[in-house]
Amino acid sequence: MKIDKLIDSGYYWIDDAARRSALSLARKLSRRNFLSRLGMMLAGAAAFPLLPVSRSFAQSAVQEIGDPATCEYWRYCAMSGSLCACCGGSFSSCPPGTQPSPISWVGTCRNPVDGRDYLMSYNDCCGKSSCSRCGCHRTERDKPVYYNGNSSTVYWCFGVEDTSYNCTVSLVLGYSDE
Amino acid sequence: MMALLMGLLLAQLVSAGSPRINYLLHCSGCHLPGAEGNPPNVPTLHHELGRMMNVHEMREYLVRVPGSAQSALSDADLAAVVNWLLIEFNADTLPPEFELLSTDEVSAARKAILANPLEYRITHWRNYGE
Repeated sequence: MKIDKLIDSGYYWIDDAARRSALSLARKLSRRNFLSRLGMMLAGAAAFPLLPVSRSFAQSAVQEIGDPATCEYWRYCAMSGSLCACCGGSFSSCPPGTQPSPISWVGTCRNPVDGRDYLMSYNDCCGKSSCSRCGCHRTERDKPVYYNGNSSTVYWCFGVEDTSYNCTVSLVLGYSDE
Repeated sequence: MMALLMGLLLAQLVSAGSPRINYLLHCSGCHLPGAEGNPPNVPTLHHELGRMMNVHEMREYLVRVPGSAQSALSDADLAAVVNWLLIEFNADTLPPEFELLSTDEVSAARKAILANPLEYRITHWRNYGE
């Protein structure tokens, strides 16, 4: 009889401890916290989402010079927007938690290393509120907005689920003089 | 014979390079570098354009849609880009008697403003996704 009571109280103690710890966790952590951590993990697993265009041209064949976190970097010659290189991504990859827009605008930039002109695709990274770091506005071969296919200031977050603009990447599509 | 001609023409177009570069510069932002598009918002340029060439009215449609007509390309360059697209991505669906679009044809068609591209498409061809 006494053993039964002991077992009962033991169970009660385990139940109670589990209830208390769950409650204290629930008090300390919001659901958002869990979701954001899970989101970070998932985004981390996807580690810098890549665009199909970035795979179609051997990006490693392009020689780089300069600091990709400044507006003067050669790839940004026709870009308007925030640099993903300052926002948790790089010049060619979106920050975790954002999705690259498949729709882009295309211009050309001269690479000072080899003096060749490259076709650049400026893709917006979308799905998070705007990153306000490293805002750039360069306008080589930029057309007014009524040629919206060739306007750098047009907002390009189309074709993605969440259309909020975060930052812009610059991908090489190929040589423009070939 | 047709295939050989196509092959020769294709080789010429590829070596000239400019229609492909013009496509990448003026069209690929939306239709994507591989021209597969992003349906239903951005139509694909694979296979279906070739089938459209069976219908006379659809020849001019290709250069009258806003993306073509309002592009910063000259009539000759636009004709070259559309012909390149037809051969590069639609060779399997082009009718055997297909003739390339001429610059004059493009100039004339481009002047006629297409106020309602979707209506024209449905009337002479079909709706998206049908």
